[in-house]
Amino acid sequence: MRELAVSGLQKAFGPHPVLTGLELDVPAGAFTAILGPSGSGKTTLLRLLAGFEQADAGTITIGGRVVDGPGRYIPPERRKIGYVPQEGALFPHLTVAHNVGFGLLARERRGGRTAELLEAVGLAGLGARYPHQLSGGQQQRVALARALAIRPEVVLLDEPFAALDAHMRASVRSDVQRICEQAGTTAILVTHDQDEALSLADRIAVLRDGKIVQYAPPQELYTRPADAALARFVGDANLLDGQLADPALAGSDGARTVDTIFGALPLAPAQPAEPIPPGNVTVLIRPEQLELIAVPAASPGTGCLSGRVVACEYYGHDAVVRVQPDGGPDGLEVIVRTTGAPRLPAGSPVTVRARGPVIAWTR
Amino acid sequence: MSTVPDVRGEGSAQSDGGAAGAVTTLPAGAALSGRSAVPARRARRPAGLLLIATVIAALLAVPLVFLLIESSRAGWSTVGSQIFRPLTGTLLWNTVRLTVAVTAACAILGTATAWLVERTDLPGRRVFAVLLVVPLAIPDFVVSFGWSSLFIWVQGFGGAVLVMTLAVYPLVYLPVAASLRAADPGQEEVARSLGAGRVRTFIRITLGQARGAILGGCLLVALVLLAEYGAFEMLGYQTFTTEIFTNLQLPTEVPAACALSLVLVAISLVVLAGESRWRGGGRVARSGPLTQRVMPPLRLGIRAKVLSVACVGVLMALALGLPVGASIYWIVEGGVPSVSDSVSVSMLDAAWHTAAYGVSAAAIDTLVALPVAVLAIRHAGAARHFLERSTYLVLAMPGVVIALALTYFTEQYLDSAGYQTAPLLVLCYAIMFFPLALVGVKAAIARAPASLDEVARSLGQGKLAAFSRVTLRLAAPGLAAAFCLVFLEVVTELTATLILVPTGVQTLATQFWQYQSSLSYGQAAPFALVMIAVAALPSIALGRFFNRSADTRGMER
Repeated sequence: MRELAVSGLQKAFGPHPVLTGLELDVPAGAFTAILGPSGSGKTTLLRLLAGFEQADAGTITIGGRVVDGPGRYIPPERRKIGYVPQEGALFPHLTVAHNVGFGLLARERRGGRTAELLEAVGLAGLGARYPHQLSGGQQQRVALARALAIRPEVVLLDEPFAALDAHMRASVRSDVQRICEQAGTTAILVTHDQDEALSLADRIAVLRDGKIVQYAPPQELYTRPADAALARFVGDANLLDGQLADPALAGSDGARTVDTIFGALPLAPAQPAEPIPPGNVTVLIRPEQLELIAVPAASPGTGCLSGRVVACEYYGHDAVVRVQPDGGPDGLEVIVRTTGAPRLPAGSPVTVRARGPVIAWTR
Repeated sequence: MSTVPDVRGEGSAQSDGGAAGAVTTLPAGAALSGRSAVPARRARRPAGLLLIATVIAALLAVPLVFLLIESSRAGWSTVGSQIFRPLTGTLLWNTVRLTVAVTAACAILGTATAWLVERTDLPGRRVFAVLLVVPLAIPDFVVSFGWSSLFIWVQGFGGAVLVMTLAVYPLVYLPVAASLRAADPGQEEVARSLGAGRVRTFIRITLGQARGAILGGCLLVALVLLAEYGAFEMLGYQTFTTEIFTNLQLPTEVPAACALSLVLVAISLVVLAGESRWRGGGRVARSGPLTQRVMPPLRLGIRAKVLSVACVGVLMALALGLPVGASIYWIVEGGVPSVSDSVSVSMLDAAWHTAAYGVSAAAIDTLVALPVAVLAIRHAGAARHFLERSTYLVLAMPGVVIALALTYFTEQYLDSAGYQTAPLLVLCYAIMFFPLALVGVKAAIARAPASLDEVARSLGQGKLAAFSRVTLRLAAPGLAAAFCLVFLEVVTELTATLILVPTGVQTLATQFWQYQSSLSYGQAAPFALVMIAVAALPSIALGRFFNRSADTRGMER
């Protein structure tokens, strides 16, 4: 069942187009992230879904009901949409319990629904406090409980973790995911943080220039981004020039190869049945697909290149080493993610080995 | 006379709009039917609000329109000949030199005291912070009464400068103290770290941060001076306002009153335009969250401490002690029996009327300012600009001019029905003090971010329900402050009251004026004290409100 469907959505503020024909289908119960750089129109999309703004063109359907479309506009209070804005926006003049019970009828408030919700978000017993007496993470949980109180069909989360410090963020994130899952609510999370989107969402829609450029599960988005710019946006990426051989020259197993500075690397089988034509391509190699061999081989074999360390950034759980290939063009560097490698001083000779398959786009 | 920090309302409003600087409200029809009647779906304008606000703006322009109509009835050539005569020159010279002198004195006094209280470890600065505001509660004509009744030499230009400076310097002190308290201490620290010394930092950074507040305060001082009647009448100092007042009493002098009023309005407009030009690019960009970090106070040396306390103490004695002391002196001097039963009866009667007028005007202004403030804070755009300009028109109309316009209106179109009736007087107050109420209500609305209303709507509350359950509740203390401000002004208003007060009715101010004019100081003094008492409570409440709002702004986010 389709819980939320958006088609042909357009919105401009004065002469500035923000959304230009956006399409999106979100299945019931899914946790979907809308990922985009700041200024890409994420918040505008969310405000249109919530009904705080009205679309210039296009249709929004929630639970089979058109809430915004030609000649039709349902105001926010009748959409049954839970909204968790940035920084929570708790009502500062109300206690936690009254915040959570704000959208409930008096009968429901007395019926213990408030306590039940506070319990669910792990804040049982804090109902008498005021928002300013809570930590940032607690405020976000109250904001979520308040949104869930009205048993919404969809919960909209507008960068709810941006204001939290890194430590708090992880625990609040996973709690929010769990609570939404338990409530069986369809959730839409807007974020500019790709780690957040990749780790939380069932599916990710990437917003760029007012359109969705890719809508896919996290693994697919990371391993098979729609284009090179997207590849770089969802994570660290080595984007290298390559030459794709003619399919007629493919090996006996039918796998095609692409020529790069690493030599010939196997090309991942094309997912859509549309093979890339031979010629100049851009090749994506994620840093974790590269492996560092500290002892330089006399003559690097296929899939390997020799080079010198430019810099090494140590993160504890892993390290990122930037390597300049020997004989490569000036300024060309490859990024290698290694675990547990000893810190290498700049200038150390190393060998880098690539593990295929790789993906490529026509250049 | 007292407008409190315009600077605040503006600043915090900026951050609240969020992504949706544009229009978000829907016309009532669409919200009710859930169906848009408009075929082309575009960003909606808040049509209802705009309509209300336009009507209000039109009402505010009414006195000016009447003034122009009356002038043209009197004949422009007559009016012209009234303007171009030696008297106008004298009045202009009197008004300008007084305005310049008092404004400069207030700027220095207000800024210095604000800096001492907010930025140094001046002993007793918490007490001074309250005491320094209290002179606002003493009507200017009572300060003038205190001085001129005791010292014969307090008169003319020198007397006017002395009295008015002591009476109105809090108009600079209050906004400057608020802006110094809210200023980002980081800027001063950075300046010091970049090698600027203490003095250089003070001039380049501290004064720069307070610039808007100082200018705003000076503007208010200038407007008060242009509008003042009672104090100057007592001191025998002739300005446009006193001359208009005199001409107003004589039916034959209508063209003269109109002519002088036009000149006075023109001067006020020049002052207003000058202030907004000077303020110019004074917008403050602030990076990062609005956390309130308290600046460690500058430690004064022992000699500086003694000197500062002495200076502020003397100021308090002159501005606060002397007027109150003089009133007590005259009561004692006249002998307590002279404050007879008849006085106490007329006192109760006058207090009742004063309170009734004050509450009515304050309630009307607070209510009427609400839609205009919502429009101004939540819906930026051309409409907002237009409305702010229209309140400027009222600021440029001293009370005597508004009263004059309303008088001529009732004479001309209502056959004098309504002249000197309670509704007309309350209407006059409401128009005079609307800009003041608007400043307060805007600050109040700015304290309630629009995003809270949106959350309330997403939780199933209609537009009006969300507004009343969230925005109104959060704005309530600020609305109360705006109400108090207007009430305070009405209690201490004399000029328009003398012109429009209903026949046979006395307010505290008019009764005081009557006794004082007949040199019955012993009988006038109790009225002065009661006026101070009635006005002091709201002004202390106001001071506390603005202190608190500065302290808690960071917390609420």
